[in-house]
Amino acid sequence: MATLASSSSVLFSSPSNTNYLVPSNSQLSPSQRLSLSSSSHLSSSLSICPSLSFVTLPTRCSRRFVNPACSFSVRASAADKKRVLIVNTNSGGHAVIGFYFAKELLGSGHDVTILTVGDEGSDKMKKPPFNRFSEIVSAGGKTVWGDPAEVGKVVGGAEFDVVLDNNGKDLDTVRPVVDWAKSSGVKHFFFISSAGIYKPTDEPPHVEGDVVKADAGHVGVEKYIAEVFSSWAAFRPQYMIGSGNNKDCEEWFFDRIVRDRPVPIPGSGLQLTNISHVKDLSSMLSLAVEKPEAANGNIFNCVSDRTVTLDGIAKLCAQAAGRPVNVVHYDPKAVGIDAKKAFPFRNMHFYAEPRAAKDILGWQGTTNLPEDLKERFEEYVKIGRDKKDIKFELDDKILDALKVPVAA
Amino acid sequence: MARLMVVQQQHKTPLSLLPSSLSDFNGTKLHAQVQFKKRDSQPKGALQVTASSTKKILIMGGTRFIGVFLSRLLVKEGHQVTLFTRGKAPISQQLPGESDADYTDFSSKILHLKGDRKDSDVVKSGLSAEGFDVVYDINGREADEVAPILDALPNLEQYIYCSSAGVYLKSDLLPHFETDAVDPKSRHKGKLETESLLALRGVNWTSLRPVYIYGPLNYNPVEEWFFHRLKAGRPIPIPNSGIQITQLGHVKDLARAFVQVLGNEKASKQVFNISGEKYVTFDGLARACAKAGGFPEPEIIHYNPKEFDFGKKKAFPFRDQHFFASVEKAKSVLGFKPEFDLVEGLADSYILDFGRGTYRKEADFSTDDIILGKSLVLQS
Repeated sequence: MATLASSSSVLFSSPSNTNYLVPSNSQLSPSQRLSLSSSSHLSSSLSICPSLSFVTLPTRCSRRFVNPACSFSVRASAADKKRVLIVNTNSGGHAVIGFYFAKELLGSGHDVTILTVGDEGSDKMKKPPFNRFSEIVSAGGKTVWGDPAEVGKVVGGAEFDVVLDNNGKDLDTVRPVVDWAKSSGVKHFFFISSAGIYKPTDEPPHVEGDVVKADAGHVGVEKYIAEVFSSWAAFRPQYMIGSGNNKDCEEWFFDRIVRDRPVPIPGSGLQLTNISHVKDLSSMLSLAVEKPEAANGNIFNCVSDRTVTLDGIAKLCAQAAGRPVNVVHYDPKAVGIDAKKAFPFRNMHFYAEPRAAKDILGWQGTTNLPEDLKERFEEYVKIGRDKKDIKFELDDKILDALKVPVAA
Repeated sequence: MARLMVVQQQHKTPLSLLPSSLSDFNGTKLHAQVQFKKRDSQPKGALQVTASSTKKILIMGGTRFIGVFLSRLLVKEGHQVTLFTRGKAPISQQLPGESDADYTDFSSKILHLKGDRKDSDVVKSGLSAEGFDVVYDINGREADEVAPILDALPNLEQYIYCSSAGVYLKSDLLPHFETDAVDPKSRHKGKLETESLLALRGVNWTSLRPVYIYGPLNYNPVEEWFFHRLKAGRPIPIPNSGIQITQLGHVKDLARAFVQVLGNEKASKQVFNISGEKYVTFDGLARACAKAGGFPEPEIIHYNPKEFDFGKKKAFPFRDQHFFASVEKAKSVLGFKPEFDLVEGLADSYILDFGRGTYRKEADFSTDDIILGKSLVLQS
């Protein structure tokens, strides 16, 4: 039975980091937003820490923890400690998921190894989140590098209870990991898939169970995992923000706003998308680790519970930066531009809701885009990106075609 | 340039779309739903809603749309149901698809209390003379009409109010949840003020906030607007991009939700969004209406409303913005589960209403012709 007395400092980061703002358009609900597990085996630990009463207030508070390891999840008792392997991609939007997930699991007392694809010494490792992997190590996690096709060898024959594949997009890449996991006695296999596999629909949002594109690589992987493993779950994310991100998201907007450049958005700007703080994804994955029986056999849209329009993102980024914004809409075909290259979000409604996670795992979202973007902007300025010399070739081509002047 | 086309319509009967158990509103399937029998997915911690003891129920209104379906459900449950109306419309009318036996039974049991709810003296005296256990306020718009009802019924067990998702403050972040900011200046501020008054008065209240309601007997031209154009073989003019997202909820699902909150502790002093589980784009809604009515795929014309002057007329029945609300609170707390998905629900409306030649408003294509007459239309 875990005793919490010594670990109360782990449960809460310094109170000065908490920020109980009540934004008027907050999407936060008054219900508790803590990942205090409802699992019965952890409930015995709850009474010990006196400060818990502080955080159970039904306030519209947002979690402002700088260190994502300090989530509210209660430390796992020795009996519930799980040995988790994360197979992590070495680049792209999803890279940061493994980083947060590793730290959250470590904070909850689990054993974590993160296997990053490729070489430790590669240039890719100089970028976030990889250049912050010392945080995983100092939290007690193991970091290894190698080829997931040889995962058994790379982890040196170690055994695990849970594997999360946050790397493969197709069966060729993930199959060796699944097969090894099965043969080495892994009990639960989780997979980071993608909400991009849903078939476009007249009736949003994408809900778990909706039709997916049959030929999508991730679909083949989900099917295979379900065939091989008796305990599995797949998570379908969209876009995410958070410190340590490997791929630009909100930065695309900040780059333009901070330089007083127009923000060119294809189409009407009413297209809906979803941006989650990566800690929401991490907390969902952690719940699945804590409640694998509940998670078993399910697809989870791994997204926050609010959607936002493309225009809305521009507006919120501008508010976060404390600057005005000039959005310019354009028709990519008319301008002769490939919108995929010119703009970081899909030029269509791309909107999934996390209904299964809420129903089945009791998950709650904490993403608060207005507040989260403020934090992101602070970091954006802190690293000096606002002063960076950036070329806006595609923007200029668009604005030229529309005859929109660019501020000097 | 004239865009009016005469289309040879292959009118396929949409009956195949409708599971037969849903084609009328009576019968055991409905009863089972309302009785909240054990389902596969029990909402967490939900109480089994056992059939409430017989209540003396007053419905404010009840002769037009929601009330027509709600009153039938309540009467079938065995409650004594009275409609408070001015008596301008018949207290009961046989519904399309309703059997003679069912209608006879209903019309013999439904009661009427005549009065004008704007006359607070009449309301007070009429209601206190009768004494009711529960009030369903289906047609209330202003808070000052509620006070006399509460004054007349000091032992009221529950006041169940039909509010509106129109009270939510417009936001960049959707869907609307019940906890979101509301707009004290909106067109629906009377609804907000009513909710506030109910809370202030300490009565056991429940408020349901529907989005756009549709279904047979709809007096708001929602689906009817599309059906008129589809039937006439006309293109459907939709403002701007057509990707604006809205949300429709079937009136029968709403009526069921109203019954689910009756005597339900979990609904005490709570607000619930009630609508369909999925949302829909404007363009998608045009296509869904076509499917539901067995019409061919419609021609959609997009236009910029700013380029036209329609005078006082409304060129399109929906607000030109994203507007949708999450129903997950109702689902998890009440076990609310819409029976109709969009196409099924529109088919139900078509089969029982428009498809039989009945509708509330005559077709008026004057704004369409203004739009189509101009050559300046956006590419769809």
